[in-house]
Amino acid sequence: MTIPGSIRTLSRRGLLCPPLLVLAVLSLSPLLSTATELKWTLWLSFGILALSLTLVWGVAGIFSFGQNAFFGVGGYVFAVAALNFFPATGETLTALLVGACSAALFAALLGYVTFYGRVGDVYLAIVTLSVTLILYTVLSSTAGPEYRIGAAQLGGFNGMPSVPGISLGNGELSNRQLFAFAVCLAGALYALTRFLISGRYGQILAGLRENETRMELLGYDVRLHKLLVFVLGGGIAGLGGGLFAAWGTFINPAVFSLTQAALVAIWAMVGGRGSLPGAFVGVAVVQWISDQADKVIAQQTPLILGITLVATVLIFPGGIVPALANLLRRWQGALRIRTQSVAAPESGSVDAGAAPAETSGARGTLGAFAVAKRFGGSVVLDGVTLELGRDPVHAIIGPNGAGKSTLFGLLTGRHKVTQGRVELNGVDVTRAPIFKRARHGLGIKLQVPSLFPKLTVQQNVELALMAPRAGGQRPGSLTSILEMVGLVKKRDASAASLSHGEQQWLEIAMLVAQNPAVMLLDEPAAGMTQDERSRTVQLIRRLSANHTIVVVEHDMAFVRALDAPVAMLHQGRVFRHGGFNELSRDASVRAIYLGQQRAAEG
Amino acid sequence: MDALVVIALSVLTSIAILVLTSLGLAVVFGLMRIVNMAHGEFLMIGAFTTTVLVRSAGLSIWLAILCAPIVCALIGAVVEVAFIRSLYGKRLIDTLLVTFGLSLILYQIAIDIFGTASPGIGAPAGWVEIGRYSVSYYSLLLPVVALTITAALYLLFTRTRYGLLARAAAQNPEMASALGVEVRRVNLWTFVLGCALAGLGGGLLSPIVAVSPGVGQSYVGQAFMTVVTGGPAFLLGTLTASAVLGGVANVVSQLFTNLWGLTALLTVAIILVRALPDGLSGNWSRQL
Repeated sequence: MTIPGSIRTLSRRGLLCPPLLVLAVLSLSPLLSTATELKWTLWLSFGILALSLTLVWGVAGIFSFGQNAFFGVGGYVFAVAALNFFPATGETLTALLVGACSAALFAALLGYVTFYGRVGDVYLAIVTLSVTLILYTVLSSTAGPEYRIGAAQLGGFNGMPSVPGISLGNGELSNRQLFAFAVCLAGALYALTRFLISGRYGQILAGLRENETRMELLGYDVRLHKLLVFVLGGGIAGLGGGLFAAWGTFINPAVFSLTQAALVAIWAMVGGRGSLPGAFVGVAVVQWISDQADKVIAQQTPLILGITLVATVLIFPGGIVPALANLLRRWQGALRIRTQSVAAPESGSVDAGAAPAETSGARGTLGAFAVAKRFGGSVVLDGVTLELGRDPVHAIIGPNGAGKSTLFGLLTGRHKVTQGRVELNGVDVTRAPIFKRARHGLGIKLQVPSLFPKLTVQQNVELALMAPRAGGQRPGSLTSILEMVGLVKKRDASAASLSHGEQQWLEIAMLVAQNPAVMLLDEPAAGMTQDERSRTVQLIRRLSANHTIVVVEHDMAFVRALDAPVAMLHQGRVFRHGGFNELSRDASVRAIYLGQQRAAEG
Repeated sequence: MDALVVIALSVLTSIAILVLTSLGLAVVFGLMRIVNMAHGEFLMIGAFTTTVLVRSAGLSIWLAILCAPIVCALIGAVVEVAFIRSLYGKRLIDTLLVTFGLSLILYQIAIDIFGTASPGIGAPAGWVEIGRYSVSYYSLLLPVVALTITAALYLLFTRTRYGLLARAAAQNPEMASALGVEVRRVNLWTFVLGCALAGLGGGLLSPIVAVSPGVGQSYVGQAFMTVVTGGPAFLLGTLTASAVLGGVANVVSQLFTNLWGLTALLTVAIILVRALPDGLSGNWSRQL
């Protein structure tokens, strides 16, 4: 039964469709007129550009306004390389590859600066757009004869004419051959992207798109992943640009214009921003409308595009392909069409070993040594030393303003210490970013549930299971983890549809899946009912067999029920250590909480 | 010596131009987090208003320049009510795309009305001699105007009731609303102010640049980079960023060509954004 199995795998990973499509289109080719073939070749080059935006934006959640910049770079570099080398080598495939690589490199540079600078989404959009516009201005100014690279005159606003077409070795391809080449190239890129997003990598991209912070807390190197997908998108756009230049045997700065930048976004949105086939569909629809409109009122392209863009965003944000897919799904209720849900093998990528109900592992230690934190002029923490790990569970309490949240931030890596040291399992992590601490065994649960809202409960935990970690035990199986938190029945529900308490438990499930040596929980009982609270206490007790648990809490009944050593913060220092009962009997502790401190001092 | 003075004045003028073209964007983005991609088109509308009024209506150039923000304010009000209003609180990318669409629409309308090129108007007020060089009075006026406008805006946002309401509505619309602030109207005024500033910038630029429907697009890229580099203090940050970026761009332009000046601006801006992701004013205690 291997053949059907492998076909099923190919189909699941999206590799069956593209070759069939390519064959179908190529067989149509003799029936098409030259004009149609030329037009479709152009549309394919645009489709490749749109595909790059769909990958980077729709799949990975990075809105880049600069995909056409990479398209343009690919086109220009192809033109320069081809003009210089074609006479000698007789082929331009290398030039195409060089163009794509240049675009990818440019993307790497831009991506490095923006992602490693932790610049926000909107800034990225603005920076990429500005880069595009400035390339437009720069290349438009290269009109003089002194602007040349080898044999290639840059030509300024008028562009570079007489760019060689695609040649595989014996002369330039004819229109029909170029069409076939374009179909194959587009098909290959489509297959590549489908393959990538159907597997593990696709899950990671989905996680990035849904909740980047969460991914970082799980230990993924978010910036590197974004950079890689951005570079891939740049390379794909560059290939499209080279094809475009070869198709028209011409390239000019118009590829960098605002209109072109808008077009890419419009293509992706009209087709369906997360849909890979939507990229090509979007191009076809928008270009067709644009061509028809041109016949009626000439030269009004920006107006039509502008109206389309505004209408799409305000009225029809979903796009065509997902809308059609929904329609199809409703008409054929029994037929389950998988759009973006990822295959979730029980064995295989998760844990092939035995399925213990508990996780296994040693408890870790977390220590803060004389940490101080200043924000501008105000001192929030003034020398806190806490060694956590001797007991299975620790609680940190303190009145408002004591510095609990700041201490939590210093332990997780969200804030940098002004002074002092933080150690995790004996390793100095004072300068380590959040994801490195996560990898070394620190599990973090924030106060507000931070999940992947549109993914299912199962997919949420899978991402946690797949998270990189530096050594450490293998966690239990997915099902046993869900059983532990009582969410097995809801494994296919979307995370957003869970109740607040259930969302907190899902987060705890993700922590368990991460299997950290130390778990830091920020107000785990917040917003829970009495019932949910006692279940959480039990859960924590159960987990403390294999993990050190540190809880920062306000809820005194919860802290008492935990029955763990308590450290109380006050005005940025550790005021008292001890058992809960001990502290609650202490007069000065009560005075601080009940506000009698001033009276006592005054 | 004269050469140095002239270069310094040239730098000041470049900085002033950057300030004047970026302030409108800084107000709208800095205060309301609305990315107005049509900012360049408002610059263009301001420039055209002035040019047309001078050439066709024979108005004095100073009067024509003052009319530019009024026209842009009116158009801005229409745009806000029709489109921007439905976008508050939505994803920023949506706002960006809608204003992008608007910019294309406005651009095309301008081409339909004016054609792709337009005869310009000359700079008024003549020249002053500095040693062997002559510098136009107009280019000396621009830095003064830029500083005055910035100071006026600062006073507006710190000393007037509108200014306080605008900042409150921007920081916490729900709370402001609960306190009885009519947030919709305040946002309308802020957007209109941003468009008026863009129009004023365009009007002030019209004597010294080639006014065409695409003129806004050449300035919008730099304006965005300036605002982003400036950081959260949208007035003082933009001023500082303009000083740094404008200065660098001008010096490089004079040493090489305008092309390189622009490239230098972009490079420095990107480096600054990388080094200081919260912008130049990220760590300042001043919030304006």
